[in-house]
Amino acid sequence: MDIIIQSLAAVYNPMTLLLVSIGVLFGMVCGALPGLSTSMAIILLLPFTYSMDPIMAIVLMVSCYVGGSSGGSISSILLKTPGTPEAVATTFDGYPMAQKGKAGEALGLAVTSSSFGTIFSAFVMLLASPMLAQAALSFQSAEYFGLGLIGLSCITSIGAKNQVKAVVSVMIGLMIGTIGIDSINGVERFAFEQPSLLNGINYISVMIGAFAVAEVYKNIEEYRHVDTSLRTEQKVKIKLLKFSEMAKMWSSFIRGSVIGTIIGIIPAAGGSIASLIAYGSEAQDENANPKFGEGNPRGIIAPECSHNAAVGGSMVPTLTLGIPGSPVAAVIMAAFLIIGITPGPMLLREQPIMLNAIFLALITAALLLFVGGRFVTSQFGHILKLPYPLLGSLIVTLGVVGAYSLKNSFYDVLIMFIFGLVGYFFDKFKYSNAAVILGLILGEIIENSLRKQIIIGDGSGMGFFTRPVSVLVLTVAALTFLWPMMSKKLKKGKA
Amino acid sequence: MAIEIAFNILIGLGVLFYLAQAIQLPATDNPADVLGAGGFPIVIGIIALIGLAMITIHTIKEKRKVDIPMLNLRSIDGRMVFINVLVLGAYVGLLDVIGFVLATFAYLVVAPLSMGYRKPVVLAVFSCVTTAVMTVVFGIVFYVPLPRGVEFFRDLSYLIY
Repeated sequence: MDIIIQSLAAVYNPMTLLLVSIGVLFGMVCGALPGLSTSMAIILLLPFTYSMDPIMAIVLMVSCYVGGSSGGSISSILLKTPGTPEAVATTFDGYPMAQKGKAGEALGLAVTSSSFGTIFSAFVMLLASPMLAQAALSFQSAEYFGLGLIGLSCITSIGAKNQVKAVVSVMIGLMIGTIGIDSINGVERFAFEQPSLLNGINYISVMIGAFAVAEVYKNIEEYRHVDTSLRTEQKVKIKLLKFSEMAKMWSSFIRGSVIGTIIGIIPAAGGSIASLIAYGSEAQDENANPKFGEGNPRGIIAPECSHNAAVGGSMVPTLTLGIPGSPVAAVIMAAFLIIGITPGPMLLREQPIMLNAIFLALITAALLLFVGGRFVTSQFGHILKLPYPLLGSLIVTLGVVGAYSLKNSFYDVLIMFIFGLVGYFFDKFKYSNAAVILGLILGEIIENSLRKQIIIGDGSGMGFFTRPVSVLVLTVAALTFLWPMMSKKLKKGKA
Repeated sequence: MAIEIAFNILIGLGVLFYLAQAIQLPATDNPADVLGAGGFPIVIGIIALIGLAMITIHTIKEKRKVDIPMLNLRSIDGRMVFINVLVLGAYVGLLDVIGFVLATFAYLVVAPLSMGYRKPVVLAVFSCVTTAVMTVVFGIVFYVPLPRGVEFFRDLSYLIY
């Protein structure tokens, strides 16, 4: 009881609450701006935390993590330019909704879902941290491979109009992902002795090109013939979901949050994979109206719940095992060490208030997302009122900053430019840009896990079928791939 | 239809080149690494080729006409988008020569003009304000690295960010 009271006192005091607000708002701004990321936001906050009380410092960073994870969806929905990698899947249905004049509704869905996912994972983190962390350790190469395949199953839904073109698109994404040094045996692949290609092609620059720049080209062709009054005259204001509306879509909230929490707990998987898998699982419903990819609200709920649930999930192995659950959690872990706290099994025993304080910070930050979301959205709303020639130029300039800042390299801007053209033609010929990104994101985890497991099995792939968790994950992967075909056959059978 | 087939052939040639490179990748010293560095690329390359063949056959059967304004320079829309691609290409090329501030300012003036925007005062204010805000927010407040250009432009950029 004493610990609970001390934890409440540590978080619910004016100073800490102010820090939570600053963290959420700062995270959201950084998340919403392409070129800044959640990790960068936390790194920028780090110097301010040196002289702080450790709990205050961690609370500030965790709040920033929650805000950043949610903020990426704002630019995804309004500009088709994901502010963070986690927000890629939100673009698939968020932007089409905004194009239909439902930007406020889409943003409301995103904020509500992010908040729900964060709170869900916070409870899981508090109640089952040590147990879940141990379970996550049983994930090895075979299971990671299955996880990658589940992520790829998204193509059955995001490329619904032409499945073969979606498959070819995903293969092209996988091919681009193989460029650079092979991480298993260090062989240089498809780099043609170009130093800039040795590190591979970053999917953020591809994403900015294929999504944002290609969309600008498309809009240049169309904007003179389209009535833009809906976009320019309406005030973009978040429309929050009513409880009854949430209740109608409860399964999407729960499914997204569960997927996000589980994937967040698995070391190094992270929110971007979580949101893609959650989107894929949601989009299996062929009878959805509107269809997925055309502005279905569930296409926003699932990925948003999922990547914010991954925030709490990624804190589980970070706190209990000292193994970061995501790249951002790795930055937070470094902050722990700077402050003088060593994350690991002893942390929960030695610093019981810390876990409760993080839990309370997550809950408070999740609730503050509504306030931060309103502020950041209203600022972005002003940008949307610009005439398209100005808005389009601004989007491209933001994209250039986003691409260049990845590695301080002109080469990433060039990649963005090239994929702007590729994305334009892919769109015209009904190939899937989203599937290319999917392949590019998941390629590394799929190839490396596949080869590592075969090496562990001394050249045999039997390890995939002898490990119970692997069999379970692979079965889920196979089902998610085959479900659209199976459901069609079942329906034909019934008819 | 012809454009789509040509596009598919272009991708196919790219995939074939990729496969040719993948086959030449050196074998691994580790006998347990059955796939090696080239195994996975070969598999995905072959799947892509089969898929492309299926798509091309379908395209020939379907005879669907695809409108690509960028390739039709007789239309105003086509010219606009084509010029914008060139403008963006020039912006990207100039970034590393004259630096972020000047290149961005120039782009923000030229790109809207090439899209048919004709309000010079608004355009001037927009270009100046946007360039200034982006430079301050990204370059000064958040320490995001921005291109500096070469020689004189590089020295100049250090005075700003």
